[in-house]
Amino acid sequence: MIRARAADEVRDALALLYCRRENGSAELRVAVPRGGVARARMPDRETKSRFVSAVLEAQPSDPGEELELFGESTANLDARDRRRLRRRVGVLTPGLRLISNLNGWENISLAAAYHGSPPLERVEALARDTLRDLGADPRALLARLPDELGSLERKLVAFTRLLASDPDLAVLDAVDEGLRAGEVSLSRRFEAQYRSRRPDGSLLHVDAERDPA
Amino acid sequence: MLRSLLEIEGGVRLSLNVALRAGRLARPPIFDSFLRQVYFTGVMASTGLLLRATALGVLVIAIVMDVLNADADLAVKLLLWAVFREIGPLAAGMVVILRSGSAIAAEMAVMRVSGETDALRHLDVNIYDYLVLPRVLGVTVATAAITFYIQFLAVLGGLAFAPLVIDATFTELLGGFTSLFSPVDLFYSVVKSLLFGFSIAACCCYQGLNPPELSQNAVPKVVTRAVTQSALLVVFINAVFAYIVYGILFFGLVKAKV
Repeated sequence: MIRARAADEVRDALALLYCRRENGSAELRVAVPRGGVARARMPDRETKSRFVSAVLEAQPSDPGEELELFGESTANLDARDRRRLRRRVGVLTPGLRLISNLNGWENISLAAAYHGSPPLERVEALARDTLRDLGADPRALLARLPDELGSLERKLVAFTRLLASDPDLAVLDAVDEGLRAGEVSLSRRFEAQYRSRRPDGSLLHVDAERDPA
Repeated sequence: MLRSLLEIEGGVRLSLNVALRAGRLARPPIFDSFLRQVYFTGVMASTGLLLRATALGVLVIAIVMDVLNADADLAVKLLLWAVFREIGPLAAGMVVILRSGSAIAAEMAVMRVSGETDALRHLDVNIYDYLVLPRVLGVTVATAAITFYIQFLAVLGGLAFAPLVIDATFTELLGGFTSLFSPVDLFYSVVKSLLFGFSIAACCCYQGLNPPELSQNAVPKVVTRAVTQSALLVVFINAVFAYIVYGILFFGLVKAKV
């Protein structure tokens, strides 16, 4: 009884708990404490992609997986509860592309304009400040279409879009991948930005070991 | 056969979804997208259509006058019954399929294949609201406007050209046309063009969102299917609608005389 309660308390203290067991391989376990920062290095890209997609959908993608978000198991949720959990999670991953026929500002503000909250003025201030803090020129970046942006600029816009959704848990998937030697680590800058806006939020950096060529 | 049935069922479901969600058009990003669609389908097409629509009326009159050796009465009847009621809406439908239907199907398929629709879902933005609703309603409104535009120019072209090949003045032909014209003609073509626009956009959106595979190779296949199915749909609606309005509604059920 006491052990069960202790286990519940540990679960409640986690923003994310992910376990994956496969026959003949070691268990994969990722835990992100509430309000904390964690790093997860997956054995290969496929495993990472499975993990990211489970978090994105708030649903385990195969029977060997278990996923808990904010102390709640995602195994048997109905669509509404799953959607509620998904809203609390923001994922920055190459798979979640910017909308190609919307410019930077429209991409960042789309969800706010559609749902009617937060106010667009607040999103605009957030976009301007974040991009400026990250060393970009907001006016140039926000007016351009994704195809007119470089890969670094696209990541900046996508990250600002994530910040605009104000997630309780942010998952940053391989944000430093593809950066040139002289470019400062994006993950650190993104972490600092997220922390400054959500001191109580949880953050997970995830990447994969390089697959053998 | 099974695939065709599934497509019909999917198309009907998509159309019902659009009808039920029409109230959401007032949301700012959806309304912006609707206005953009009206602009692309209606306004941008209008300049290119100016000459072609006028030539349409001229050609119909020139050919029919030459073949049938017709008089002023027949010229006016042809302009109303053939050009205004049938050819105008059909021409508008074909223009919309070729210009906007193909573009919508390709755009949707690319968004689906590249994962942009997933991105929308994860932003909690409903793709029916944001992608389908403004396109379907935008194309519907624009098709009605283009139909009226083509009808006006084609009839005007025909009326202006007819005096050159028959013994009647422009004013006489115009007078004949207005006396023959009834509000039913306008109502008929407006309703028909709205139906054309709705079905073209719904068909193209459905095909675009349901590519046969999630790869770039699927995009041309989607466009081909969308264009051919939309064209068939327009011809089918035209035949059924003409039969209902000018067959059953005004003249009763058509019975074969033995």
